[in-house]
Amino acid sequence: MNRFIECAGVGKIFPGKTESVEALRGIDFVGEEGEFVCLLGRSGCGKSTLLMMMAGLETATSGQIAVAGQEIKGPSSDTAIVFQDHGLFPWMTVQKNVEFNMKARGVPAAERRAIASQFIEMTGLTGFGDRYPHELSGGMRQRVGIARALTTRPKALLMDEPFGALDAQTRGKLQDELLEIWEKQKTTVLFVTHSIDEALLLADRILVFSPRPGRIAADIKVDLPRPRTSQSADFSALARELRGLVGADREID
Amino acid sequence: MIQWRRALGLLPLALLFVAWEVAVELKVYPQVLLPAPAKVAAVFVNDWDTLLDNAAASLARVVTGISFSFIVAVPLGILIGRYRILDMLTDWSIQIFRSVPPISLIPMAILLLGIGDKPAVSLIFLSGLWPLLINTIFGVRGIERTLMKVARAARAGEFLVMRDIILPAALPSIFTGLRLAVGAGWLTVVTAEMIAVKSGLGYMILNGQLTFRSDLIIAGIIVIGAIGLLADQLVRAVRARVCRWQEGLTASNE
Repeated sequence: MNRFIECAGVGKIFPGKTESVEALRGIDFVGEEGEFVCLLGRSGCGKSTLLMMMAGLETATSGQIAVAGQEIKGPSSDTAIVFQDHGLFPWMTVQKNVEFNMKARGVPAAERRAIASQFIEMTGLTGFGDRYPHELSGGMRQRVGIARALTTRPKALLMDEPFGALDAQTRGKLQDELLEIWEKQKTTVLFVTHSIDEALLLADRILVFSPRPGRIAADIKVDLPRPRTSQSADFSALARELRGLVGADREID
Repeated sequence: MIQWRRALGLLPLALLFVAWEVAVELKVYPQVLLPAPAKVAAVFVNDWDTLLDNAAASLARVVTGISFSFIVAVPLGILIGRYRILDMLTDWSIQIFRSVPPISLIPMAILLLGIGDKPAVSLIFLSGLWPLLINTIFGVRGIERTLMKVARAARAGEFLVMRDIILPAALPSIFTGLRLAVGAGWLTVVTAEMIAVKSGLGYMILNGQLTFRSDLIIAGIIVIGAIGLLADQLVRAVRARVCRWQEGLTASNE
């Protein structure tokens, strides 16, 4: 087992005007290369904060984070991030949006275009390259967000509740597509969600967070055979177990 | 139906015209002071060159002045909106100076710059500067936070962030500023020409008062209003073109 993603004693305190908030305490976790890890928990348990720290967009108050052997001190080219509210530039076409991360990295225009087209095709956006984000449905927009993140071939793909705002049907479709891409690209995925079902459908491993301060309450390996369905008995058993851990009576949604 | 609603905007103007005609018929004022519409219409034929020359002079001043405002305010506004320290440095000054009506600066402008285009254009520049500056800053501030995170995560350089993210994000707001600036500049030019310059529509109107040419005054007012309307429509049209990506994003396109 390689130590591809490593969090050692990671803590985060947000200083406040009256009192500071401890968002995370003592996060220790080692992730393998190629693993699909879900960070599961209720809102406010620090799972997104941890993801932002892995992306280098937040700094840890204590402890260390390393991705692919590199300590994270700021945004790194080893990671790419997909946001829940997709973060597409409304004034850029789909094509330009997908090219942005490469442009920021100084990839020449012709190469950019070719790579973008490739990922536009992979994410099922062929024919939409000239559209603006507001002309697309929520699911399509998130496909653009995913395509953009993949263009720089990140070693770790960080996803912050990417399907949280989508309807159930679109969500299911995008989950399937994401798994397909993940199997093809063999990237490591860290996926924040507050849906137990989503975590069980996607993850090799689920980190269950508990709140105040955010900690990892459980680290669960999911051995269910793929493709998965929420109908199986094993799935239901695991879902029940997770519900107990998350501390919700039903689906936490 | 839509055509109809468009035409609705003409109704107040038509009513005003009728009221004018009635006032003339009833001889509320002597003809010398309040000329008949027909007499004013004649100005557009007989004094066409005068109108054209003066309108051109006024327009040239506004275009020059507002161009300077734009060149100064947009880059400055982007920098102030982007860097907190510049905001702290300039905020009070902006709030103070924008509250000063440009017209109140006319005496100083004449003392320092004399009579002519220099004081007029300077005042128009100032009239346009504040709305453009404030709206540019506002536009930069309004950028969605996620977009800046995307840029940071991609390690985009400062120049790319300015050109590809901050400028386009602020553009709709910059255009709002430009509309206000053009309006303010147009107000200022007419006033400035009444005092500081010997040409332009403002000068022509004031001259009309001195020579009892009330027909010329009213014709001048009509031209001023018409150009104001056209200038605003022009800025809106350019905005709609440049900010095409915004279509359907806002509840109404104003």
